[in-house]
Amino acid sequence: MKITALLVLKCHPIPDGSDPVILANATDVNHFGYFQRVTVKQFIVFVGRTVAKRTPPNQRHTVQHEEYKVHSYNRNGLCVVGFMDDHYPVRSAFSVLNQVIDEYQKKHGESWKTIQADTTSQWPYLNDALTKFQDPAEADKLLKIQRELDETKIILHKTIDSVLERGEKLDSLVEKSSDLSAASQMFYKQAKKSNQCCTIL
Amino acid sequence: MVSAGASTYRDRTSEFRSLSDTLKKFGRISAANPDRTYQHNDPSTSSKLPLTPSSYRSEFNKKASRIGLGIHETSKKIARLANLGKKSSIFDDPLKEIQELTALIKNDITALNVAVSDLQTLQNMEIADGDYSEDRVVHSTAVCDDLKNKLMGATKKFQDVLTARSENIKAHENRRQIFSTNISRGNPLRQQTENVMEPPPWSSPSRSSANQPSESSGSGVQVGNQLRRRLAADTTPSQHMEASMLQQQQVVPQQENYSQNRAVALQSVESTITELSGIFTNLATMVAHQGELAIRIDDNMEETMSNVEGARGALLKHLNRISSNRWLLIKIFAILIFFLIIFLFFLA
Repeated sequence: MKITALLVLKCHPIPDGSDPVILANATDVNHFGYFQRVTVKQFIVFVGRTVAKRTPPNQRHTVQHEEYKVHSYNRNGLCVVGFMDDHYPVRSAFSVLNQVIDEYQKKHGESWKTIQADTTSQWPYLNDALTKFQDPAEADKLLKIQRELDETKIILHKTIDSVLERGEKLDSLVEKSSDLSAASQMFYKQAKKSNQCCTIL
Repeated sequence: MVSAGASTYRDRTSEFRSLSDTLKKFGRISAANPDRTYQHNDPSTSSKLPLTPSSYRSEFNKKASRIGLGIHETSKKIARLANLGKKSSIFDDPLKEIQELTALIKNDITALNVAVSDLQTLQNMEIADGDYSEDRVVHSTAVCDDLKNKLMGATKKFQDVLTARSENIKAHENRRQIFSTNISRGNPLRQQTENVMEPPPWSSPSRSSANQPSESSGSGVQVGNQLRRRLAADTTPSQHMEASMLQQQQVVPQQENYSQNRAVALQSVESTITELSGIFTNLATMVAHQGELAIRIDDNMEETMSNVEGARGALLKHLNRISSNRWLLIKIFAILIFFLIIFLFFLA
C-alpha cells in the first residue's frame, strides 16, 4: 500500500512524438538502496514521460510494470502520473490523481501551458500529498466511508449482543420477582389466618 | 441469321430461343443448356418477361455467379490477412489494418451466407414451382452445394488465419516479457552489471525462437541484438511497445473499469448503510420488548411490596392483640376455671 512517486506533466494535446514536459515531481525512493536511488529516479521520470505521452486526452490509464502499477490521468493536456504498488486500490489511486490535478489547476491556473522545459523546483503540496496519501483512505472518501461504516457495524453487533444479554438477565429478574410476589402473598395469607384465629379467641 | 463464321454459336442460340418459344407455346419447356450466353442476350431481347422460369433461371445463375465472385474476393482478402498476420513483427504491428480487414471479411462472410441461403430458397421455390427436368434440378443443386462448400472452406481458412494471428500475438507477448523483465531487472544496476547481463538474455531469445514456429523468430533475435546494443544508449524501447500494447489492449476496458469500480463501491456503501438501518431497527425492537419485561418486573415488585406490607400490618395487629390481650386471657381463664369449679361441684 505504497505510493512511490507522483508526477505532474504537460502533454501535447495531440498525441504526437513530442515528449511531455515535467511540471512537478515527488518521489519516495527511500526503500531502494542508496546507490540505486538516482537511477530509479531517472527511470521513474522516463516511464512517467512515456506513459503520459501515450495517454489520450481525458482518459485514465493503468499500466502494469513488474510489481508497480503506473496510473495516469490526462485532463486537457495536463497529465498526472502516479506510481503505486499492486495493493493500492485502483480507484483510490485515481482519486489521488484527481485531487492532485485539481490542486495544481487551482494553484497555478493556466500558467502551466506556457512551460516548455522541465521544472526542477519542488512543489511542496505534492510532497505532502505523497506522504498523506500513502494510506488510500485519505484520498478516497468512498473508502473512508466504507471503513467507518464497517466499524460502526461491528460496534452495533456488539451492542446487540449486550442487549441480548440484558434481555436474558431481565428474564431471570422477572421470574424471581414473580416468585417473590407469590411468596409474599402466601406470607400475607398466613399472617391474616393466624390473626383471624386469635380474634375468636 | 448472320452467317459469319465466328458467331455461329450465337446463331444457334437464336435458333434455340425460337425453338423454346415455340415449345413454350405448347406448354413445355426444355432446359439443360448453358445459360451464360442466354444471360448475355437476355437484356437485349424479350426482357419484358417478368418472372418466367427462364428468368428465374437466369436470376439463379446471376446470383450464383455473384456469390462465386464474392467468395473468390473474400478468399483473396483472407489470404492477404494471412500474409499480414504472418509478417507482423513486434515493432510494426499493423493492428488497425488487420482489425479492419478482419471486420470486413466477417461482414463479407455473413453476407455470403445469407446470399447462399437465399439461393437455396430460390432453388427450392423454382423446383416447387413447376415441373422441371432432372438435369436442371441436378445442376442447381450442384451449384448450390459447390458454393456452400467453397464458403465453408473460406470460413475455415479465415478461422485458421485468426488462430495463427492470436498465437503470433502470444508469442510476441512472451518475447516482449522476457526482454522487458531482463531490461528492467538490470536497470538499477545496469551501469555495473551490463556485461554479466549479456549472456543470459542472449541465450533466452535463441531458446524462445526455437520454440516459436512462426517466421518472425529470426527477426526477433535480431531485434534482441539491437536491444542489447541500444541498452547502453537509451532505455527500454520494448517498454514503449509494452506500454503501448498494454494501453491499446486496455483502453476500452480502462474507462469502463474505473466507472464500474466507482459504481460498485457506491453500491456497497449503500448496502452497508441499509444493513446498518436494519440493525438499528432490530436493536430498537429488542429494547422495546425488554422495556416491557422491565415493566412486568416493576409490577411484580409492587405487588410483592403490597403483600408484604399487608402481612406486616397483620402481624403488627397480631402482636398488639397478643400484647394487649393479657387481661382478656385472664378473664377467659377465670371463666374457664369458674366453669371447671361448677362442673366439679355438680359432680361432687
